[in-house]
Amino acid sequence: MEGTLLNSGVSLQFYIILATIIFCIGVLGVMIRRNAIIILMCVELMLNAVNLLMVAFSNYHGKGDGQIFVFFIMVVAAAEATVGLSILVLLYRNRKTVDIGLFNKLKD
Amino acid sequence: MIALITLFVTGLITLFVAFTRKPLLVGIIATIGLIGGLFGLMYESRYGIRLFPDYHGLNFDTTAVMFSFICIIFTTLLVWTGFKPLTENENHAGDHIALMIFSLCGALIMTSFTDFFMFFLGLEILSIPVYVLAGMKKSDALSSEASLKYFLTGSFATGILLFGIAWIYGSTGSFDLLEIKNAILNSTHNSSLLYVGVLLVLASFLFKIGAVPYHFWSPDVYAGSPATIMGFMASVVKIAAFAAILRLFTDTFDSISGVWGPLVLGVSVLSMFVGNLSAIKQTRVRRLLAYSSIAHVGYALLAVVTFDSVETTTYHYNVYYYLLAYGLATIILITAENIINDESDDIENWVGIARKNPILGLFIIMAILSLAGVPPMMGFFGKYLIFSQAIYDYPYIVAIALLNSGIGIYYYLKLIVKVLRKPYEAPKFDKLIICSLQWIVLIISGVLLLIGGFLLLLF
Repeated sequence: MEGTLLNSGVSLQFYIILATIIFCIGVLGVMIRRNAIIILMCVELMLNAVNLLMVAFSNYHGKGDGQIFVFFIMVVAAAEATVGLSILVLLYRNRKTVDIGLFNKLKD
Repeated sequence: MIALITLFVTGLITLFVAFTRKPLLVGIIATIGLIGGLFGLMYESRYGIRLFPDYHGLNFDTTAVMFSFICIIFTTLLVWTGFKPLTENENHAGDHIALMIFSLCGALIMTSFTDFFMFFLGLEILSIPVYVLAGMKKSDALSSEASLKYFLTGSFATGILLFGIAWIYGSTGSFDLLEIKNAILNSTHNSSLLYVGVLLVLASFLFKIGAVPYHFWSPDVYAGSPATIMGFMASVVKIAAFAAILRLFTDTFDSISGVWGPLVLGVSVLSMFVGNLSAIKQTRVRRLLAYSSIAHVGYALLAVVTFDSVETTTYHYNVYYYLLAYGLATIILITAENIINDESDDIENWVGIARKNPILGLFIIMAILSLAGVPPMMGFFGKYLIFSQAIYDYPYIVAIALLNSGIGIYYYLKLIVKVLRKPYEAPKFDKLIICSLQWIVLIISGVLLLIGGFLLLLF
């Protein structure tokens, strides 16, 4: 996997490394953070890392379909964020907290 | 395609009809639409009609029609059995049923996609309404907790899936399954990027179907969400996910099965053990069903791994038959949950059901026997088909699976004994109210479970 992307002096591997780092930050955030809103943001971060990777690969292959996929991901991410935030609002009304460590009533 | 459009329009009409605040009207329209979708599916497959001949993103081939068929039937049965709880609040009578139908549209896409665009959209259309439905009981903290847990694990799995798709796209340069298959076959050495992508996609699938080691969410979510929605997750969502696994892994990535095959086999064995051993000590019905569903996912994954020794249709058929038996039994037990309608969901509430209503007890016992895999129920033949295929390649794994069936029989029989036993104290509820729709569901599923095994002789 070598070669420089179209219209830029940056080669593909840097995009791959950057996207992987952003994705890993997102995954770590989901695993470590306790605040449900921040977890939601970390999921969005993961999706945006994928967007970057898709665009880079799309440019590398010289095809447009990767960039179209990015639009699909953006639409779905928006829908997911809507549903996720409304679930959070619902839960906050019932429990007065967004700390996921306290959502353990189902465990017993 | 006709079925998909019919169902989507039905969902929309259901939403608008709900403005009349007549739950019965909503139910009738949803039922007509679902059955219309079923006929559309059969019509299309029978006469080979394509609505949009130039569009190749969705292909309703034999496998897709088979899996879509039971998805539609199960959704219809679940709408009937959960009609009362779904339309309890008449302001939202249409919402819940419409969301179930929209989710079903996603399930149909998941069974019939031919590229990653449609696969991703189908997965999300399937999942997002179920996130909402899990939190259906708005004032219930447990229900919204289940909803959040399902949402967070589900969207995390989506992120991992997309990362996997990006790697597959990067190494093969296409989203089309056929082109990807050819690219893998033609290249002399596949880059490790492709393997990373395939394994990430596999991981997200295991999340969705709730296989070990990604099973931690399913008992909580199943126990917290309303019974009908739990039935939807356990039957329709799993069937759609398995249809997609068959299409992606055994049809597209079959030439690199050396990479994912052993992993799926390991996951299958782990799922059986964790599911069955954890189910033994459960004191709540829905948690027990959740753990038993983990074990059943393990058996079904065993059928996925044995694909290279048999011809295509056979293992598709095995997975299909097994999930059909599992889904029917689950729907009967969900109907019983809806009839008992107990918030605490304690297993002790099932004591003496057969004495209060012998026919309901009979159906429950049939469903449990089918889950346990006792002949002549359908579940036995499902297990028989899978094990008899797998025994040529993996005799030791089949021995482990049989051992697990033995463990399973222990807790299933315990449940049967509870259903039959005379209650020690005066029961909390005197009468079981069963509406006519629930009788219809019980009779359809019960009869199919009984004759399903004999239908096998016809093929």
